Amino acid sequence: MRAAPPPRIVAAGLALVVALTACGPQPPDAATLLKQSSQRMLDLKGFHFQMQITGFTGPAEPVQSAQGDAHPPDLHAKVNLKEGGILLEVEVIFNADRIYLKSFTGGWQQLTAAQVAAFFDARLLFDPQAGLFAAMRDTTAPYRGNSEKVNGHDTYPVDGVLQGPRVHQLLPLIREQGAYHATYWIETSSNNLWRARVTGNLFDASQAATIVFDFSNHDHPVSVSPPPLG
Amino acid sequence: MITPFRSARLRSVNRPALLSLTGAGLFLASLDAYVVVTALLPMLTSVHIAVNRAEQATPIITGFLLGYLAVMPIAGGLSDRFGRIRVFAACLALFAFGSFLTATAPSLSQLVTGRLLQGAGGGALVPAVLALAADLYPTGDRSPVLGAVSALQEIGSVLGPLWGGLVTASSFGWTWIFWLNIPVAALIIWALWPEIRSRREERRPTQLDWVGAVLATAGLALLTLALYAANPEQSPVGSGFIWQAPLAALCFAGFVWYERRAAQPLINVRRFRDSSFSGSAFTNAIAGAGLMVALVYIPVLANAVFSMNASGSALLLVRLLLGIPIGALLGGWLAYRLRSYRFVAALGLVLAAVGFFMLSGWTEGSLKPHLIGPLTLADGELFLTGLGLGIEIAPVSAALLDAVGEAERGAGASFLIVMRLVGMLVGFSLVAGFGLWEFHQATAHLLPPLPGLNPNFAAQFAFYTLKVKQAIFDEYHLIFRATAIALLVGAAVAAATLRPLARPRWQ
Repeated sequence: MRAAPPPRIVAAGLALVVALTACGPQPPDAATLLKQSSQRMLDLKGFHFQMQITGFTGPAEPVQSAQGDAHPPDLHAKVNLKEGGILLEVEVIFNADRIYLKSFTGGWQQLTAAQVAAFFDARLLFDPQAGLFAAMRDTTAPYRGNSEKVNGHDTYPVDGVLQGPRVHQLLPLIREQGAYHATYWIETSSNNLWRARVTGNLFDASQAATIVFDFSNHDHPVSVSPPPLG
Repeated sequence: MITPFRSARLRSVNRPALLSLTGAGLFLASLDAYVVVTALLPMLTSVHIAVNRAEQATPIITGFLLGYLAVMPIAGGLSDRFGRIRVFAACLALFAFGSFLTATAPSLSQLVTGRLLQGAGGGALVPAVLALAADLYPTGDRSPVLGAVSALQEIGSVLGPLWGGLVTASSFGWTWIFWLNIPVAALIIWALWPEIRSRREERRPTQLDWVGAVLATAGLALLTLALYAANPEQSPVGSGFIWQAPLAALCFAGFVWYERRAAQPLINVRRFRDSSFSGSAFTNAIAGAGLMVALVYIPVLANAVFSMNASGSALLLVRLLLGIPIGALLGGWLAYRLRSYRFVAALGLVLAAVGFFMLSGWTEGSLKPHLIGPLTLADGELFLTGLGLGIEIAPVSAALLDAVGEAERGAGASFLIVMRLVGMLVGFSLVAGFGLWEFHQATAHLLPPLPGLNPNFAAQFAFYTLKVKQAIFDEYHLIFRATAIALLVGAAVAAATLRPLARPRWQ
């Protein structure tokens, strides 16, 4: 029968195990994650997005939700608008500086930039300077939380703060005042952004509101062609 | 097929109490088939469906009817095997669970699932109660009870839309239509608890005709899918119509083939050779379709072009709903006095067709001109439609029940309800798809004016709104005219096939 190993060796072995575990694949710090993911999303050949706004208080809600495919600045989306308590669905296409709308009745018609600005310029959402992915880099006080599953993917949520004027750029409905809370769910292996959420008194100083973006089909090529008019 | 048990113990229980309790549950479920017609728009808004995608409301109605029809063939057999009251209570609980899913639905898919389960739970109550009635009462005394079960079904269609409209317009909102089902169902199950617990209720193993039930349900489900116009801009029927419709026909053919050979068939298909039986079954389905079209499209029209809210549109529908019970009594009395089913049934269907033709001439000003005192011509037209749909009920039902004879009356009563719901399901599916298709055709080149740098926007927008309303009216004219024609076909079939009364039945 062999003698048991001396206690010192056991302790050293344990220390080694602990050290190895701690040195395992460590996610990057919050600021690096945001920067890498921002770049990744800006470089994509295309993606699917879904946006949902809750807590809007105005009489006419220019946009309640939108979903579609984008390869910024081109995109094709279905947008739900609320007008006098009635929800309407319209379809928009942004293609090489031209904007098309398919509304309640009839086929596609071309809009001017002024007309689209009056209701909802979806291009701004993913604009390389003003949009959401650029806003990731401008997020201050980033803090990485514990890993979470989003739509079946392992992500790390990164919390931070976005200033009012910055968020106003990507959605002009949002007030320029104050600072808002932003969270980004980022998959570390690919740097894909799966979900982003902005909360705060976005539209009304006394009422909490939320915008949630969900992304999928990262880097699936998206090509948007101009629709037949009429 | 319902085979009554000759149970001494069941005879000793409080029969009226047992039937009232189960009847109350049945009534609750029959209300819910129609309760949504005045609540559709708020329901759609709360699951984020835009009004210009109204085709997505179709499964809220067809889902319930399909669930209802799917369980009816097997529920009678299940109640043989597990006991009437136990099956009744379990299905009422399923109905309550469906109500819960519907009330809490965050999405259209959960809403439709909830409606499907509500229908499945509710539909199973019909054969369970019919079978219970058959157990409790001897053959000769059973007719009034069977009549009451069918009447509850009809009263549900009268009160359901009103109830739905009032709850929706109240400060509680549409979800309370469904929340309230849960305590009522719980109360009924609680009251039945001693009967559920007692192990003495007779059971016996029966051969359930699973093959027949599956074939019939698959056929109906495929037909509903085939007729569901998910994209009415392109097509008035579903995108899979080309393969779903023939497959549905194949299922129905398989059903008939199998039922002819089955030892205990769901329906004695040989009865269809009797023209009075098949004629009354067909007429009943046509009348069901007419009723469903009126129940769904009058509130939607009231909302879309007369800008009425849920209670306003329910109150407009009251004119039609009032006509139904009055017509039902009148139809029964007339059939007895004139000793003719075919004349009275055809009369009712023709009156309803005339009513629909008149409705198809409605314009934006139709609710305004007063005829006598506070009454308008539109009130009269709606009442006439309801009256006609009511008059047809008694002669058509009696002709079918006469054709099956005394011994199979329970199965006959069940089959009457099945055919009515099949008519509702198929008729409504067809009308919904073709109506929306017509609307999209009419507005295919109607571009909405855009604000912005447009000085004439207000005028253009007013003109545009007028054009859209016109297109909505066009859609309704098509729907009501098609329904009127279908009712006239029904009238012709009734006049040609129904046998006269054999002996007095209306006492």
